Amino acid sequence: MAEKTYREAIREAIIEEMDRDDAVLIMGEDIGVYEGTFRITAGLLQKFGPKRVMDTPIAEAGMVGTAVGMAMLGLRPIVEMMTFNFSLVAADQILNHAAKVRYFSGGQVDVPMVIRGPQGAGVQLSAQHSQSFESFYGHFPGLCVVAPSSPGDAKGMLKSAIRGKDPVIFLENASLYGTKGEVPDDPDALEPLAGSRVIREGTDVTIVSYSRMVRLAMKAADQLAESGIEAEVVDLRCIRPLDFGPVLESVRKTHRAVAVQEQWKPFGAAAEIAARITEEVFDDLDAPVVRVTGEDVPMPYARSLELAAVPHEEDVIRAVREVMYLD
Amino acid sequence: MPEIIMPKMGDAMTEGKVVRWYKAEGDAVAKGEPVLEIETDKVNLDLEAEVTGVLESIEVASGDTVEVGTVLGYVGDGSAVGKKRGAAGKGGPFVKASIEPAASARLANGGQGAPRPTPFAQEGSTADFIRSSPLARKIADDLGVELGKVDGTGPRGRVVAADVRKYAHSADSGTGLTAPIVEPPKGLETREVPLTAMRRTIARRLSESIGPVPHFFLTVDLDVTGLLSLRSQLNDIQPVKTSVNDFVVRAAALSLLGHPLVNASFGENAIHLHGEVNIGVAVATPEGLITPVVRRADTRNVPQIAQEVRDLAERARNRKLKPDEYQGSTFTISNLGMFGIEEFTAIINPPNVAILAVGAAEERAVVIGGNVEVRSRMRVTMSCDHRVVDGAAGAAFLRTFRGYIEQPLRLVV
Repeated sequence: MAEKTYREAIREAIIEEMDRDDAVLIMGEDIGVYEGTFRITAGLLQKFGPKRVMDTPIAEAGMVGTAVGMAMLGLRPIVEMMTFNFSLVAADQILNHAAKVRYFSGGQVDVPMVIRGPQGAGVQLSAQHSQSFESFYGHFPGLCVVAPSSPGDAKGMLKSAIRGKDPVIFLENASLYGTKGEVPDDPDALEPLAGSRVIREGTDVTIVSYSRMVRLAMKAADQLAESGIEAEVVDLRCIRPLDFGPVLESVRKTHRAVAVQEQWKPFGAAAEIAARITEEVFDDLDAPVVRVTGEDVPMPYARSLELAAVPHEEDVIRAVREVMYLD
Repeated sequence: MPEIIMPKMGDAMTEGKVVRWYKAEGDAVAKGEPVLEIETDKVNLDLEAEVTGVLESIEVASGDTVEVGTVLGYVGDGSAVGKKRGAAGKGGPFVKASIEPAASARLANGGQGAPRPTPFAQEGSTADFIRSSPLARKIADDLGVELGKVDGTGPRGRVVAADVRKYAHSADSGTGLTAPIVEPPKGLETREVPLTAMRRTIARRLSESIGPVPHFFLTVDLDVTGLLSLRSQLNDIQPVKTSVNDFVVRAAALSLLGHPLVNASFGENAIHLHGEVNIGVAVATPEGLITPVVRRADTRNVPQIAQEVRDLAERARNRKLKPDEYQGSTFTISNLGMFGIEEFTAIINPPNVAILAVGAAEERAVVIGGNVEVRSRMRVTMSCDHRVVDGAAGAAFLRTFRGYIEQPLRLVV
């Protein structure tokens, strides 16, 4: 075990898997000569050569389409999206091809590929470059959609994604790249692409989240503890398939739930979480599930508005107090 | 037929309390699976099933305290569910107690309750729609409360769980429940606080000490100017933050090496001199006082002692100490300096023969070589068991101890 950053964890996963299996290759914009806009692929072109580390033109549909073809024929491509906002250009290739080839072929042809990159809000990136896609991609059967919140999960899950048979949407977050955590040294240590986890035990309320918002939930939980409120925090880790067992077990115990997501309320991931909780543990609820979400506007460019458009700890704390009938 | 019995966790334990059952009569249990949570005088822990089978009967209910060795329940093949066999019987320890903390998140019985019927049908008489949360309805059902009578404090008059509980415990609910709910007290009120197992143990052990043990007390006023400076320097250069008490622990440990009579216990026919220096450090927890032990404290340096004390205190506050972490001390240190106490006398922690009570380090005016100077000083009071330690022996120990505290470099070389 060693303490590493999220960025190092992703990078190591890519390098170790490319060393392990010649069929693994990576492609994306500016990942080779320029060494990657987030420095994840620095040095890879030199190490593995241009046949396995491919600089692509600015052509997401072409990149993903090519990768689908490669995967169908036995290669294991990793496609880096500079940000997931640009994946919309490749939406047809992802949703109508990568997600459906196995189904159309009656299970005869797999598409083992990973599309990875950062998503979500940053600092004044403006509306077209600040979006989150877990609820968008999570809606489609045929895709595996994951959003690891820690370096340990990031490395283990990326390895599983690369070694697996499914098309995986691997959602990272630029503000997580610098965060640190324990990462196993063993190059064969994998994390499953399924399974939620209780990362903080508590008795008064269940806070459910994933990716960057998990860290927000933990900070809010620490603050709540000072008022004597002990929150249980569940990290979903994977959006599709969604392992809801731990969430249900938790809500049966605490009787109250708060779902936290970064982006807009209508039709977001928190809606799915709230619906599932209501369906399955209705009788144990003392209050409706409260959703903490971003404001329903395209992301503003002005910093003051941008900060107001995303959730903060105070919003989570307020939601917890609402669901506990305090104030 | 395997019995689940109350285990004896440590020499002093005579009884334990059943906190709650994770399984109900008729539930399947697997070998190694936690079946119930018990409370001993120091820690809470889970009891695991030794065999796979069915929990056929529960003999001791949640909340009850029984003697060590009492049968708490029976695990069988499922053919005799519900048949009570009586809690008597002092069989051998058939159940392995897991020393892992009772993890309430690991509820193995993942909520198999079928949805409760709504009490609306039972209300009958009221024509109005009663806004209430599902949990409130469930509790009302359990406690026999008429939902219509409860005042709802939720949005739009919604009756929520807290409302039902409050009503159930009030005089006019007719539920027969009399125990007051714990609410934050507004001012003083006359009330009874039941004794926890921990509080009973503290009461018993210290009464047993102050009664038969002839205590006498020696106080010294120590110059800690050098010690505070050394501590500050040490904290600058290495990552583990040390406190004054960590130095006190090491000083006491090293002093005991030269005064074996103070590191002893009184026996019927002999004084037992101990071969190890294990220092108990008094820690205040929400439930009461506990003394986790730093074993072989003479072999640890100050940062190691600091780390160890911090870990033990954290576990003590969370009731997660293992028996060998709070038993087996040969000397004890109690420090109330952080509360501003200048000096106090402590009661010896049996079977030790001495305890050191440490006060606050403060700046005081002292006379040195005919001049008044400002120095940092700290008073310690040593309680000694006169059956083993005479006045001169205690004083000699304190002289050695003073030597370490006032020449603190000797603690770090």
